[in-house]
Amino acid sequence: MDTQVKLQILSGAARYDASCASSGSKREGPSCGTGNTSTIGICHSWADDGRCISLLKILLSNDCIYDCAYCVNRSTNPVERASFTAREVIDLTLEFYRRNYIEGLFLSSAVMQSPDHTMERMVRVAEALRTEEQFGGYIHMKIIPGCSSELVRKAGLYADRISVNIELPSQASLQRLAPQKHKHAILEPMALIGREIATSLVERKASRHAPRFAPAGQSTQMIIGASPENDFQILRLSQGLYKKMNLKRVYYSAYVPVTADNRLPALAAPPLLREHRLYQADWLLRFYGFSAEEILSDEAPHLDESFDPKTAWALRHPEFFPVEINRADYATLLRVPGIGVLSAKRIVAARRFSSITPEGLKKIGVVIKRAKYFIICSGRSSEKPDHSPTVIRHRLLLGEGDEATVSALPEQLVLPGLFA
Amino acid sequence: MMNSYLYDGTADGLLSAITWILEEEPDPEKVTLSERKDTLFEEGFTISTDATQAESLFFRLKQHAPDAAHTLYTFMLAEKEGMETSLLHYVSLAFRYGDKVKGYLTHPAVRDIVNVAKKVGRELHRMKGLLRFEKLQDGAYLAKMEPDYNILHPLAYHFSRRLRAQHWFLYDVKRRTAARWNNGSLQFGTIEQFTTPALSEDEKKVQALWQVFFKTIAIPDRKNPRLQKSNMPMKYWKYLVEKQGE
Ligand code: SF4
Repeated sequence: MDTQVKLQILSGAARYDASCASSGSKREGPSCGTGNTSTIGICHSWADDGRCISLLKILLSNDCIYDCAYCVNRSTNPVERASFTAREVIDLTLEFYRRNYIEGLFLSSAVMQSPDHTMERMVRVAEALRTEEQFGGYIHMKIIPGCSSELVRKAGLYADRISVNIELPSQASLQRLAPQKHKHAILEPMALIGREIATSLVERKASRHAPRFAPAGQSTQMIIGASPENDFQILRLSQGLYKKMNLKRVYYSAYVPVTADNRLPALAAPPLLREHRLYQADWLLRFYGFSAEEILSDEAPHLDESFDPKTAWALRHPEFFPVEINRADYATLLRVPGIGVLSAKRIVAARRFSSITPEGLKKIGVVIKRAKYFIICSGRSSEKPDHSPTVIRHRLLLGEGDEATVSALPEQLVLPGLFA
Repeated sequence: MMNSYLYDGTADGLLSAITWILEEEPDPEKVTLSERKDTLFEEGFTISTDATQAESLFFRLKQHAPDAAHTLYTFMLAEKEGMETSLLHYVSLAFRYGDKVKGYLTHPAVRDIVNVAKKVGRELHRMKGLLRFEKLQDGAYLAKMEPDYNILHPLAYHFSRRLRAQHWFLYDVKRRTAARWNNGSLQFGTIEQFTTPALSEDEKKVQALWQVFFKTIAIPDRKNPRLQKSNMPMKYWKYLVEKQGE
């Protein structure tokens, strides 16, 4: 089979993997070799679905011995099978890199023969790229659950980032949909990677020559909507992964129905809005100082469809507002709907020079369309300050109408154009 | 009455004029600076150009406020006309407040300069990803581009850290300027007459592989041309291998 056909099969099989980050690692390239990495990450193109292309994202093989219900590559699905040789992957990576198509390689694989057999081949590719070809670009490698810890360690020495997919948000779902994968085979390597990263950081503080272990950290991915867990369960799981396992990123992937199986829900379309809301909530966990328990609860375990999670939180907490732009600390500013990390930093930087007026906010580039309901500037507000959450809710959904029409609107009105 | 000053329209002239004003004017934030157009009724005092003055201004600013000096450098790549007064005020404020000046966005001059610098920075970052090299018959690589701003220098520097082992050229088609990296040294020059060199034999094959990858990696159920265009404006498609024939 020629390389182009393999590439088509094996990149097509890898496209549902959400992570394409190439950031978080800074490496000077070897002087006689090819490639370095940059801390902020670089997109090299944007695919027809609008996603950033940064890495050559492929499977080494789609020839799987496992039979996970949600996966196109499962052994009982009659799709065409292909496997790259190590040489093919190395050449593709180098040829693409030299032409500046990519930041590096993202290598995953279906389970060929056994987890160890597969992982060994993947590690061999990374090893050859680094040692024989002097490749200094970015490498992200998936860990095949169930492979030996020796291989996990080796992978971490060659790759910038390694990740173990958690796949599904609970053990029960894993058992039902991916019966050959076991919880401990996923969590053990995760914990091992976490420990190795921590050790390497300590050792590198003592000596700059100590080996680096996955300098861009560890990430994982789970599929959303293929199993019955609610958003609260999912967010708490992510929170635990960030706090206890020190993960850099959790990726959520809306389940795209690839197969009719009565263990799977029949979905008309992938739950994209839900995926989007989960990412927003995930940001609140990582950068905004929220906890999962503030965002959701057992009584209200689903993210609001009409509002982003921060706005939803603000509407439940009128006592927190209005926030005084000229006095509130950074953490408080971050709680205002419509004010992100960048805007909050700008506000803090600008008010050093003079106090900020509502017009000044616009001038420094803070979008106040949503924020205006929740803030005052030195006592001044561009809105009447005493709106009730119900009124704000309507205004946010429907734009500015006069009060009479707004409150007369029927409650069951859904957001127009939500799925457009 | 505000004092107005003029300079000769060159980058060195601009920076030496700023140096002079900062030294001689009691309140530099109250004067204006613009390019001398040699029309009959132009008002103002012309400051002569001194390249060493220009360099020393940049150097002193770098010592005092490295971040602001970087903004100044980036701003100059935009080759913007008519913003000299803003730049003068910005530099004056940068000497007064240090790097904190970048947060002073309520000040119109700071906002002007920072915004232009940001646009340049954005294009530079984009081009680090969107530049495409083609392999030539003699084994060297060539990338052509038509960026809005004059980003050849910093871009070439980026690739000199990255594609160290290969011999490459970077060519700004509109400005007719080029960078060349070979055996560890980086050179810049202008190209009077450009003739397209022959490609290496396997070049089209590699390009075809990239086109296959590009098509296949998109999730068919999630097509989103609007998002694609907003992330990757069409003005950059001309030299993108994956966008040929669209
Ligand atoms: S092991 Fe991976 S590739 Fe194989 S069926 Fe399961 S999810 Fe798919």
